[in-house]
Amino acid sequence: MSAAQVGFGSPQPPAGAGRKRQAPRAVPAPRPHPRLAGAAVVLAGAGLGAVAALAITGESARQLAVPGGLLTFAGSLTGMVGTYLALVMVLLVSRIPLIERVAGQDGLVRWHRALAPWPISLIAAHALLLTLGYAEAARSGFWHELGVLLNRYPDMPTATAALGIMCLIGVISVRAVRLRLPRETWWLIHLWIYLALAISFAHVIVLGPAFVGHPLTRLVWSLCWAGTAGLVLCYRFGLPVLRSLRHRLTVAEVRAEGPGVVSVILAGRHLDRLAVSGGQFFLWRFLTPGMWWQAHPYSMSALPQPPYLRLTVKGRGDHSRALARLRPGTKVAIEGPYGAFTTYAQQRPKALLVAGGIGVTALRSLLEDLPRGSAPVVVLRATRAEDLVLAPEVRELVRHRRGKIHELTGPRDQAAIDPVSLPRLVPDLQDRDVYVSGPEGFVTDVVEVARALGVPHESIHHEAFAL
Amino acid sequence: MTKAPWLMVAGAVAGFLGVLGLHKPATPASGATPGAASGQASSPVASPSASSAGSGPATGPVTATGPATTVTGPAEQYGYGELAVRVTIRGSRITGLTVPLIRTAEPFSQQLASQAIPVLRNEVLSAQGTNINAVSGATYTSQAYATSVQAALDQLHFK
Repeated sequence: MSAAQVGFGSPQPPAGAGRKRQAPRAVPAPRPHPRLAGAAVVLAGAGLGAVAALAITGESARQLAVPGGLLTFAGSLTGMVGTYLALVMVLLVSRIPLIERVAGQDGLVRWHRALAPWPISLIAAHALLLTLGYAEAARSGFWHELGVLLNRYPDMPTATAALGIMCLIGVISVRAVRLRLPRETWWLIHLWIYLALAISFAHVIVLGPAFVGHPLTRLVWSLCWAGTAGLVLCYRFGLPVLRSLRHRLTVAEVRAEGPGVVSVILAGRHLDRLAVSGGQFFLWRFLTPGMWWQAHPYSMSALPQPPYLRLTVKGRGDHSRALARLRPGTKVAIEGPYGAFTTYAQQRPKALLVAGGIGVTALRSLLEDLPRGSAPVVVLRATRAEDLVLAPEVRELVRHRRGKIHELTGPRDQAAIDPVSLPRLVPDLQDRDVYVSGPEGFVTDVVEVARALGVPHESIHHEAFAL
Repeated sequence: MTKAPWLMVAGAVAGFLGVLGLHKPATPASGATPGAASGQASSPVASPSASSAGSGPATGPVTATGPATTVTGPAEQYGYGELAVRVTIRGSRITGLTVPLIRTAEPFSQQLASQAIPVLRNEVLSAQGTNINAVSGATYTSQAYATSVQAALDQLHFK
């Protein structure tokens, strides 16, 4: 059966009104466990408190009173907390399933970006404060003391190099600089953080006052680092490679769906064992010259129909535009599935799905997970009617589920979604979770409208497509 | 995960208090309050590592007269080990400094200490007090030395 015959129209709706679907298709993604994820967060917080306490218990009141004592203590504290936060940064983007299923990969990346200034500035402060403290105690100058530190203490040159790498990564990640760098260059330099962390490990264990003479502390610290490395190797690198090898995806067909929008249909093995939920996305790596070094996130635009898998993409940047020129047979590596934009997140009995432009792709696959009779309301918003891609499929899926679809086309002032128009379209908003998907600005606006209309935070789910 | 920041805070408090609660200073002698004039505050365990440099009477200007009083300052824990300094005073001068107790966690600190202690001894004798420079590269050792000396001086009401 070729891809063209599969059609990827509306597949069989789930049988049984209100019951969990029993459709013969790919396995759903494992259920998220928010409580366990919450416990992991508490654990991470405990580690933070513990390292701060370690730095504090390493000092006595009298040590603070001597020249340089306060600076040395501050240097020790900032070093411990900063390094711990650096580990947390790595863990946030290690795609650990327990956390990722609850927070979503996109959410974790947001937190990673928000947290970033802290470990970098704390560790830079640590270096500065310690040098100043030692210099004051020895009554020597800052630069002289810096020389002493680098020459006399073991593992300091590598630690300094590690700090340099961290600061470089911080600098290139500033928005103004990042936009000027080619994406590959930024990414390659960013990966050096693994190297920086590896080479700075020694100086902490060998020189840190909390560790010298405290074998238990050393053991626990080492285990934390080994554990982090293990998690990274396993979930960030290992699992995606294994999945790609197991499913052996290749491009089967590239189809035009609308102006600037193409669907890429992939064929692969064992797709009946690929555990995904509607609304999730993958990072796709097309193994062809010019594209193989980049993995880009795109939502699935339908649940897998073994042996086929589909994504639908709007050509906005170089990579997405290049998808239209993909040749059948091109191999594809995947990372994922990721995303918490699924029916597992649903709190209320019914759902409202709002899509802006290409955001319809995530909702199209999410719809398949809604059981028959669940009566969803779907709002599709686009500037022009021809931008409403996949609309026929969505209409049929909605019809099978006894829902309603509203297609709003036209310029913003004529077809807006605001606190006045939305309740008219959706009178029973208080019974519905809101799923919003589309460009960032659109998603922010609709989420604001939902909040203004009293939809609680836990019932709003969003997937913003960044450029 | 809207409650995540609060969970982090709760965990941080728990972890912080937990470590504080579990933390035990290595010897009970550290942080001892000044006792009687000749109180022996250091632990009676003989130091396994010998590095008592500069033992014996003062090498500085000997104009001191009168009976000598000796006090051993408390053992100062300094992260890489601990040390206590025994101070001898004659009249109004510091005349002797020895280190009866020094324990270091590993060889590097041991080496630093054996290099730093003679220097520190001379510094204290010249300054006749603890307003001394730390030895470059042995900051923690110097601080512990000075602190122990100062505590001993306080016990003797030395000015």
